[in-house]
Amino acid sequence: MNALSDKLKKWGHWIVFLILEVASLVLLFRFNAYQGSVWTTQANEVVGRVLEGRQRLIAYSQLGEANRKLTEMNLQLQSELDVVRHRLAALEHDSSATERAVASQLAGIHRIPAQVVSNSIRERENYITINRGMADGVQNEMGVVCGTGVVGIVYKAGQHYSLVLPVLNSRSSISCRLHDTEYFGYMKWNGGSPLLAFIDDIPRHAKIKVGEMVETSGFSSVFPAGIFVGKVRRILNSDDGLSYKLEIGLSTDFARLRNVSVIKGNPQMPTEPKDEEEKEE
Amino acid sequence: MIFVLFKRLFQVLVLAALQVLILNQIHLFGYATPMPYVLFLVWLPLNSNRVGNLLWAFLLGLIIDVFSNTPGEASASMTLAALVQWPLLHASAPKDCVEDMVPTYASMGRWNHTRYIIILTLAHHALFFLLESFSFFHYRDLLISFAASLALSVVLMLTFETLRHGK
Repeated sequence: MNALSDKLKKWGHWIVFLILEVASLVLLFRFNAYQGSVWTTQANEVVGRVLEGRQRLIAYSQLGEANRKLTEMNLQLQSELDVVRHRLAALEHDSSATERAVASQLAGIHRIPAQVVSNSIRERENYITINRGMADGVQNEMGVVCGTGVVGIVYKAGQHYSLVLPVLNSRSSISCRLHDTEYFGYMKWNGGSPLLAFIDDIPRHAKIKVGEMVETSGFSSVFPAGIFVGKVRRILNSDDGLSYKLEIGLSTDFARLRNVSVIKGNPQMPTEPKDEEEKEE
Repeated sequence: MIFVLFKRLFQVLVLAALQVLILNQIHLFGYATPMPYVLFLVWLPLNSNRVGNLLWAFLLGLIIDVFSNTPGEASASMTLAALVQWPLLHASAPKDCVEDMVPTYASMGRWNHTRYIIILTLAHHALFFLLESFSFFHYRDLLISFAASLALSVVLMLTFETLRHGK
């Protein structure tokens, strides 16, 4: 008995050390595995609350800027509305069919508004935390967008908070296409500037112009087709030299992300032929 | 006993809050993020309980991990640094010091104390960035990040310790 307690005294700290290290590594690998608990992430309840409080403070100090932007947007929308009203008046006689089509397409996209409570852009693996979770209908692998375009995909949904894998994460991969030529590829980000991302594997024969718009392809069920992603900034050679690699200037300013919405797929509208949706990427 | 418990808890919460709310936002030149929470280990007295230290360090690391989406990285590194802390302090403490000495410039001498801080921080940062390489491996960036963060953390910690103990 004495010998045992002596041994424990001598080796106890090693045992504790090993247990703690194993626990840490389990946490690390469970997080990196795709499915896992949200307990050890920012989607955790308590953590979400603390971060939300901090974000409120920061947002409060930036209200002036937000106000200015809203006014600007209001003006722009008003002028657009005028144009649309004029057009509508001109088309009034046979617009019912188009109207119905537009309304049904809009109805097909349920969106859950959410606010960013934590955000990073300078890491190699950036994550965004939003204040909506499973209780609000958010599920893993739902798309997240904001007013200026694509933000990312829900990575781990907690009860009231969710962790989003934004475009600015080396594990993110979003199916995109070029607006005019309709060539498509997966958009990746590999560190560096938060304003730039890349699309690989664009064939050599593609005639691409700098400045061309990039939007989501709609090939996956995560994003509907046609959501703005960014613009082509430069056309580079891919690493193997067999195809083009496009440098994309992202439309979303991740450094100032505040209001986003989660795209909730439409349960009552099954895939229509024009949607070209595929379940898996 | 209960006083020591609360003091440690307080230190853990303050260091974690400092790291999570402020320092995690700092990326000097895009590479260096200071992680001075290793100070928790520096503040441990000579006669502290070895197993207890490991547990405290793990807890502090875990809190920081959860808040910064790096599960396991800080906790594993803090645990390693805590393992190193005990023998290191016993080796570098002066022979004639009191039993419950708290390591400061005054009690250990400037050079001994500085070296103590550097080695502890090195142990922590080395494992931290090694684990970081599992999720993002970019050999050159990682090395720069490691060296820059290490330097920044050590400078911050030395500055803080100097201010705290005067002169």
